[in-house]
Amino acid sequence: MVPTALDGVRVLDLTSEMGWYAGKLLADLGADVIKVEPFGGDPARGRAPFWRGIPGRETSLRFWYFNTNKRSVTVDLQQYDGRWLFQQLVATADIVLESWTAEERAELIDLGVDPDEFLREQPSLVWTSITGFGLDGPRAGWTVTDIVAQAAAGIAHLAGYPDGSPMRIAGNQAYIVAGISAAQGALLALLQAEASGDGQRVETSVQEALSICQDTSHLFWDFQRISRQRIGEQLRMPGAGTYETADGYIYSLVGLSGFGAPWSTLIDWMESEGAAGELAEPQHREAMAATDLRSLRNPRINFEWPPIFHRAQELLVDFYRSKTSLECYEQGQSRRLLIGMVASPQDLAESAHLSERQWWLELDQPTTLGQPDAALTLPGPPYRLSATPTEIRRPAPRIGEHNQEVWVDELGIPAEDLIAFAGERAI
Amino acid sequence: MTTHDATRPLNGIRVADFSWFGAGPIAGRTLADFGADVIRVESEARVDGLRRGEPQKPGVGGYNASSFFNNFNAAKRSLLLNMSTEGARDVALRLVERSDIFLSNLTPRVIERWGLTYEQLCEVKPDIIAAYQPMQGLWGPHRDFLGFGAVLTPTTGLSHLTGDPERRPVGVGTNYPDYAINPGHTVIAILAALRHRRRTGQGQQIELAQVESVAATMGPLLLDYTANGVNQTRQGNRSSWMCPHGIYRCLDDQAGRERWIAIAIGSDAQWESLRALAEGSDLAMDERFGTMLGRRRNEDALNASLSAWTASLDAAALAESLQSAGVPASLVQDAEDIVDHDEHLAERGHYRYLDHPETGRSLYDGPTVQLHGTPGRLDAPAPLFGQHTLEVATEVLGYSESEVAELTAAGVFS
Repeated sequence: MVPTALDGVRVLDLTSEMGWYAGKLLADLGADVIKVEPFGGDPARGRAPFWRGIPGRETSLRFWYFNTNKRSVTVDLQQYDGRWLFQQLVATADIVLESWTAEERAELIDLGVDPDEFLREQPSLVWTSITGFGLDGPRAGWTVTDIVAQAAAGIAHLAGYPDGSPMRIAGNQAYIVAGISAAQGALLALLQAEASGDGQRVETSVQEALSICQDTSHLFWDFQRISRQRIGEQLRMPGAGTYETADGYIYSLVGLSGFGAPWSTLIDWMESEGAAGELAEPQHREAMAATDLRSLRNPRINFEWPPIFHRAQELLVDFYRSKTSLECYEQGQSRRLLIGMVASPQDLAESAHLSERQWWLELDQPTTLGQPDAALTLPGPPYRLSATPTEIRRPAPRIGEHNQEVWVDELGIPAEDLIAFAGERAI
Repeated sequence: MTTHDATRPLNGIRVADFSWFGAGPIAGRTLADFGADVIRVESEARVDGLRRGEPQKPGVGGYNASSFFNNFNAAKRSLLLNMSTEGARDVALRLVERSDIFLSNLTPRVIERWGLTYEQLCEVKPDIIAAYQPMQGLWGPHRDFLGFGAVLTPTTGLSHLTGDPERRPVGVGTNYPDYAINPGHTVIAILAALRHRRRTGQGQQIELAQVESVAATMGPLLLDYTANGVNQTRQGNRSSWMCPHGIYRCLDDQAGRERWIAIAIGSDAQWESLRALAEGSDLAMDERFGTMLGRRRNEDALNASLSAWTASLDAAALAESLQSAGVPASLVQDAEDIVDHDEHLAERGHYRYLDHPETGRSLYDGPTVQLHGTPGRLDAPAPLFGQHTLEVATEVLGYSESEVAELTAAGVFS
């Protein structure tokens, strides 16, 4: 059997959607991640998109994707019996992940579900909290969602059209980055705990974790007192920006010294197809090749285009528009030009590169009881480890699917007690 | 030099960092924050573009004045090594032999040319953990395609899905995937591999194809296509379940700066809290907006009415009021806000200011995550170009000073 990197590590995952990805990363690396859900299941189980568009708690593609390899138990922490069961489970865990709001946290601590208390009882435990703004500070009590975090972290300001509103980056990126930060922290603390016996609190502030994605914006402010603004999809010279193609868009970044082939290569390509016009003339070729986007990038410089830039832009707009996005991408990259196609989900699904690399995974996902499994083509892992590969060992769990397995078979709680707990709705 | 102590998880771990630009060095920075001895291999023949990137400290010049470089390289050591000289590969392998982790985001072509494939590293260091971050992977039809965050954003679906549905894809305004996603995933894989090595003595290769690493974050959107055939596109700032959900213009500040607020309402209770603050306005009196269903069915009218209300309000004060009433909201912060006026981040000490010999007191991002028992630390600013060449060559690589002089004269340490 191929070993996994996190063999023997047990993680309790109490997170809302904000922390799902952290648990998935650990689970796919081999940890035994048990989702601890409230009675009735994680409220975010009902989030779109849904399998075949059918809304429900057991049909969410979002839930399925972010909860592969996890098991599920239900336990009501509001009830005494539920808290007792939870304590039994924590005693078997190496890592706890939660993303309680400040209000939930205060309430649970009042009830005795207190991270510090657990750490005193179990000094090697790693207790990881994912919060919007951190556990302390004047905004520790603030509530966060994806768009609110993107606004607070300084990245929404930079995304979007200069004449429009700031934009949220797609794909709940604040939650993704929160999950990545928390997984790093949990693993760092796990290494420390396994070496020294000392566990600890780990804390992700989504605002802080996301704020490095400001690029150079905060650095410009620190060094030059320049506040970077949204520049939209157009950069500052021909060849740099978003262009329309025969069937969509590409992003072209030609003329940035040190990155890929220069403008002269682009002119050669255009010329080979009879599309270079007067750019093929030596003086224009040289003028274009000598321009460096880097020197035009300083936001302090108000740069006006010389006439040849306008002509080059016209010719290039026509040239890219004569090809499909995939043709621009593959033919340009084969000339080492820095071009990327603006790919849709369909384009990624049809990518010959990803399919040859066998990135996509096949998974049979159980749906509502009594219905046939969904045959999913699942996006693959972010990385490939040669000795301890990630693997999807089990699909996302149904609500409380592993109550019997975890409480009775593994923790040894008598089955009749479990029936009583269920009757009291403790599980 | 970097200090080491037993109070950080990566104490005693050495990283041979052959990466450059963003995604690689940021991974190395996290490893350094948590105790690793990270040796950045640089060369006059192939200077990291960020050393010449903006922003530069005005009036300084040279290779040490870029905050773009310095921020990602705090507390590392800089070793000059020109890989195109004879003898350089032996030095590189000597460094690998004395390291635990090899890190690179170079293209596969360069890795092969320099003779630094995983198999080749194993010849001198069988239990090395070798992390490669090629754009498209080490193999496959697009293996040699070039790029970085700016190109990954379109090729992984982020550009197609971000922006207004009626307008062209706008991108995200930054090299977004370079800063958290790709370095963060790399660190996670390295930490997992370190644990495996501790338990079994076995090293391994990590291959992080940056396109895959970013596409993996888009899971539900990709699944909607593979499972349902729905090819999603841009949806502006709207949410599939919250309403209102967006970014709304507020009163410009005294200097004429546009001010915006993000508001996300996920329940009728939160709506009632907002309505109470808007008492007397058209927004508060419109019956259609009382339920989530009503708001969703009238989202255009709702957004127009909400914008009309926010237009005369101070964004920061409104965010405070909304948050006090339990409504998720935030000022859309720009760099000035976040660096100079975010009292919360300041009180938490997120940004660190380190004294750098050429740029003076300079801002650095704090660690990506807080560990209460063994916190991440920024022990030193970024190294000057080649600052630690002699130190590393003698103390780590075991060369005598005369050998160093010979190798320097031969251009190897350059």
